[in-house]
Amino acid sequence: MITEQLKQAKEIPVEIVEVVKQSVINTFESIAGEAPTLVFDDTENGPLNGVIGNIAVFNPEYTFSLMLVIPKDTAIKISEAFLGMELSIESEDMGDLIAELSNILAGEVAANMETVGFRGQSSLPTATRGSDLRLFMPNKPPSAKLRFEGNVGDFLLNMALSESRQ
Amino acid sequence: MSTIRALVVDDSKIMRSQVKRALDQVTIAEFEYEEAMDGEDALEKFNDDIDMLFVDWNMPKMTGVEFARAVRDQGYEHIPIIMVTAEKSMGKVDKALTEGGADEYITKPFTAEKMSSTIAKFFDERGNLITGEPEEEKKSFFSSILK
Repeated sequence: MITEQLKQAKEIPVEIVEVVKQSVINTFESIAGEAPTLVFDDTENGPLNGVIGNIAVFNPEYTFSLMLVIPKDTAIKISEAFLGMELSIESEDMGDLIAELSNILAGEVAANMETVGFRGQSSLPTATRGSDLRLFMPNKPPSAKLRFEGNVGDFLLNMALSESRQ
Repeated sequence: MSTIRALVVDDSKIMRSQVKRALDQVTIAEFEYEEAMDGEDALEKFNDDIDMLFVDWNMPKMTGVEFARAVRDQGYEHIPIIMVTAEKSMGKVDKALTEGGADEYITKPFTAEKMSSTIAKFFDERGNLITGEPEEEKKSFFSSILK
């Protein structure tokens, strides 16, 4: 059972990472018309000029936090693919767009996680926009970083596992 | 061609625009819109002129399923409710259709073609909306929420 694995997990189980990877690919393919490719990345995250979409898939025991890290140029190309028109990075709608993209991704992740035994639901999404954004996880939870490249540009998906707060 | 008054309920302004854009491409009827940003807002804006509901699931204050259930519980058995949501597990679909009383379920992202084929089932061959909803249902609903 995946729940048993999560109890002692020092890393996010491989089957969960695989499900999330496939969910990202499916989501971006459905929006941009082309599947992005997972690329190897062992670099430290530098400051981001762009938007980060935040959402969680959770149940009463565990929470998977998903952070969709979208550089400025990628965000603009996503707006073109999703809406048929380019939004400027300063536009109020840009945050709404990346939050909604995170929401769509979480729906796909939640459905696909059920296939490996994790039944959860999505939180409400939020988005953070700026020119010097850094991801910071002080408690160093089990986490995974997936970098993708595709026809809308490159982007990151960071995922962290924690116990749900009652 | 009939004119359909649609209430589009989603906390994302972008998604409300996407739903409206897809409905604008439907040829079977012409749509006019009312918008709401969550279930509570939708309950306030739901009125006698609304013919069809397009409802997101995951929203603050009151979810789309709770809003749909509230509409059905007040006696609106026939007004078409279309869930338009990112939730796509079979359990969620089942919950929306049974607990929420929704008629159809569209997952995001959707195409205009998907929207068009889904709502086509609610129209007769003359392009009239099929609801069979007696006026009494609307009257009883509004009198109850005004109390």
